[in-house]
Amino acid sequence: MDKKLVRELEQALGKDAVLWKTEDLMLYEYDGSVEQARPEYVVFPRSTRDVVQIMLLANRFQVPLVGRGAGTGLSGGALARHGGILLVFSRMNRILELDFENQRAVVQPGVVNLDLTRAVEHAGLYFAPDPSSQKACTIGGNVAENAGGPHTLAYGVTANHVTGLELVLPEGDVVRIGGKVTDSPGYDLTGLLVGSEGTLAIVTEVTVKLTRLPEAVKTLLAVYDAVDDATETVAEMTARGITPAACEMLDGWMLRAVEDFVHAGFPTDSAAVLLIEVEGLREGVEAQADEISEVCRLHHAREVRVARDARERDLLWKGRKNAFGAIGRLSPTYYVQDGVIPRTKLPATLRRIDEIGKTYGFRIGNIFHAGDGNLHPIILFDARDKEQFDRAVAASNEIMKFCVEMGGALTGEHGVGMEKNELMPLMFSEADLNLMRRVRDCFNPAGLLNPGKILPLGKGCGEIRARPLPVSATSRA
Amino acid sequence: MDSRILDQFRAIVGKDGLITEPEQLRTYECDGLTNFRVVPSAVVLPTSTEQVQGVVRTCHRERIPFVARGSGTGLSGGALPIESGIVISLARLNRILEVDLANARVVVEPGVINASVTQQVSPNGFFYAPDPSSQQVCSIGGNVAENSGGAHCLKYGFTTTHVLGLEVVLPDGSLVHLGGKTLDRPGYDLAGVFVGSEGTLGIATKIILRIVKRPEIIQTLLAAFNSTNEAGAAVSGIIAAGMLPAAIEMMDNLAIQAAEAAVHAGYPNCGGLLLVELDGPAAEVELLMAQVKEICTECGAWEIRVAQSEEERAVIWKGRKAAFAAMGRISPNYIVQDGVIPRTALPQVLSEIERLSAEAGLRVANVFHAGDGNLHPLVLYDRRIPGQEHLAEELAFSILGLCVKAGGSITGEHGVGEEKKKFMSVMFAEPDLDTMQRVRCAFDPERLSNPDKVFPRPRLCAEKPGPYQPHPLEVAGVAELF
Repeated sequence: MDKKLVRELEQALGKDAVLWKTEDLMLYEYDGSVEQARPEYVVFPRSTRDVVQIMLLANRFQVPLVGRGAGTGLSGGALARHGGILLVFSRMNRILELDFENQRAVVQPGVVNLDLTRAVEHAGLYFAPDPSSQKACTIGGNVAENAGGPHTLAYGVTANHVTGLELVLPEGDVVRIGGKVTDSPGYDLTGLLVGSEGTLAIVTEVTVKLTRLPEAVKTLLAVYDAVDDATETVAEMTARGITPAACEMLDGWMLRAVEDFVHAGFPTDSAAVLLIEVEGLREGVEAQADEISEVCRLHHAREVRVARDARERDLLWKGRKNAFGAIGRLSPTYYVQDGVIPRTKLPATLRRIDEIGKTYGFRIGNIFHAGDGNLHPIILFDARDKEQFDRAVAASNEIMKFCVEMGGALTGEHGVGMEKNELMPLMFSEADLNLMRRVRDCFNPAGLLNPGKILPLGKGCGEIRARPLPVSATSRA
Repeated sequence: MDSRILDQFRAIVGKDGLITEPEQLRTYECDGLTNFRVVPSAVVLPTSTEQVQGVVRTCHRERIPFVARGSGTGLSGGALPIESGIVISLARLNRILEVDLANARVVVEPGVINASVTQQVSPNGFFYAPDPSSQQVCSIGGNVAENSGGAHCLKYGFTTTHVLGLEVVLPDGSLVHLGGKTLDRPGYDLAGVFVGSEGTLGIATKIILRIVKRPEIIQTLLAAFNSTNEAGAAVSGIIAAGMLPAAIEMMDNLAIQAAEAAVHAGYPNCGGLLLVELDGPAAEVELLMAQVKEICTECGAWEIRVAQSEEERAVIWKGRKAAFAAMGRISPNYIVQDGVIPRTALPQVLSEIERLSAEAGLRVANVFHAGDGNLHPLVLYDRRIPGQEHLAEELAFSILGLCVKAGGSITGEHGVGEEKKKFMSVMFAEPDLDTMQRVRCAFDPERLSNPDKVFPRPRLCAEKPGPYQPHPLEVAGVAELF
């Protein structure tokens, strides 16, 4: 810790906007992942101008700079892996503009996901990305990790809902990319920045799409005596071209854990349930719900239940969204994994996860976005026991490897962060990774922005440095 | 071009894969933007990824700029050659490599024609959604380069929504894979960056496409209004009612006349014609179509027709899709413009266009994707009348100025290419353009891949259009040009 930097930060932002004492910093050494890393400074900017000042200081003192929203991330993206300044957006939490006619909102990164929906509901609109943590997580964090949620199936991930960004580049320049319209000329920088996990720039303003609330919603719960029947149902829906708004699956063990905690009315003696939601016009929804029920029964669902009212619907969703919390009652620590597979491989993958659990001696629960093949196996273990921790990580890596072998991906919505950066070579060739490195280096040449994330650390081998930008070089000369 | 280098190309692509005869080279001197023409030094026609890599590696070693080309139907000069460089035609890389119906994916080479993808999968009830009017001839590779749109992009999104992965030969000849078969892959979304980069980041040699299940039914409505303003009000009404039709197209009287003269689509002779297509489950479409009719009637439609058969539907679309070419029936020459405006600015921008058209004494026909505010004004002129071509170009550019002023964009789907690069600085501030250059530097530090397109040159000077002037710093050897 550099006292001089503390003084300069305090001068720029005010004393109440800077933390540096160990006991204060300790609160910021975790996020929602199993990782841990302590920053040396924590700052709370109130404006883009503040962020520019912080960026310039990070540059001058050559310390890392890491953005952080609510710290609910699951891959260690918001942890200061190599120390330095943690830039927390909790004071940049204003909704700057609501443009109902064009269905856009302009927000600061610290706005909580659900707060935006609450602010526009009265106009019949909402913000579609709905991570399970939406009551707490911020839109800035959603942008960094390209967060998804149950309704991603029909509405897409965060990237599909962000049309413009204001950025502070590593040199301190403020740039606006995209805007209220989509598909603007030139390179799609907005798409590049969303999901870049804070490694290219710091986002200070986000323009998002607002989606019209559907006229009607119907939520179905299909109950199965065999896991394979549930996964076959999903495969058949895909084949028939049915796209519900959401299609979630919980296995029997997860169900029992959740039911004990939430009392949502899940049948605890079943092997799996599918939670399926359809949305749209009243007539269309009825027809779609009927077809889905038919597919469920065809695949031996013993019961297809339809939520009778909003209260019942909320209860079913509460069960799904609080599932991770429910696990906390059963195990001192749990490891939520995030992998993607082609939907046609669901049955095989679930069987493999079961095997892996047995081999490594862990209980692995399954709860996932079945409709888009995004798995969330949950491994229960005790992190206080180092041997168990290592074994849990090994089991998890094995699952990831299998997902990639099936033609899937290492992460669907939680990001790579510091959790999976060393696994990236499973999916990408050296040339692919080098190209990503060059993109990062062209934005972030000194490597101060969120270092140690996304890309394998390596030991400098195969590192290719891009040529410096002539423009900034000459303008600085 | 040096015969030593030509020999190297010949060794890679074979004798019949290299064109150097001046009269044959002229075939490649322009794309769909015919007022820019440059004859390249050579054209190569590789038949495999390895050959593309070989050719690009040679270009990289010899510092020869290259321009990739699909079917050459582009409308912004994206495939315009460079005199000292070569054209890499991807016409022979035209195989559909894989059809994965269970996961709704198709893997193609870049030279595959857009319509062939739908042809291939339609027996199984699928289609490929992006549908530029040139879809019978344009290539998927070209669509990727320009992020092409089409009438149905209102509901289904542009090409970028449907490209999930790419195999790309980078400008140094190395091979990378961007994206993949599953959505939202880890790491930077470089596939998204590549789509719409107009050939400036490398050459795609394989493309993973998403295909879409054909909706249960499709209904197409034609409504005649007295003016484009009335038709525009109906568009706003439809969107405000919360509908997202598969397509909403509008044509003004001049465009209708041209389309009628060319293909006899049976359009009513009116001031503003609206074509609305709805697709989805039957029950829903029936219900919404009734609503659309009601809104059109309220806004002054005096004739409403719903296509009763697939043939009738095809005829309605034929008129719209042939509209550009149809201009040839009513004018010896025309310029197709492409701009975007917020939907709400439609009446105001159209009346401004009318004013500019009267001032210049040139007719402007309007055809547009009304649902997403993507205008295609067609400026009609006669090249044989001295000065008229210049006047037409000026008018076409003033229309772009209107679009930007209204909060829109200089291109909706045709790309920037050669034609609009000088307008980039109207839309983007200097630091924004610099940020794009960072991406370019990561992919193509030597600036060999379609180097003169999209971005205004010279980069180091004040952004002025016109021939390149070396910057004093460059002359002094202090800075190099990217």
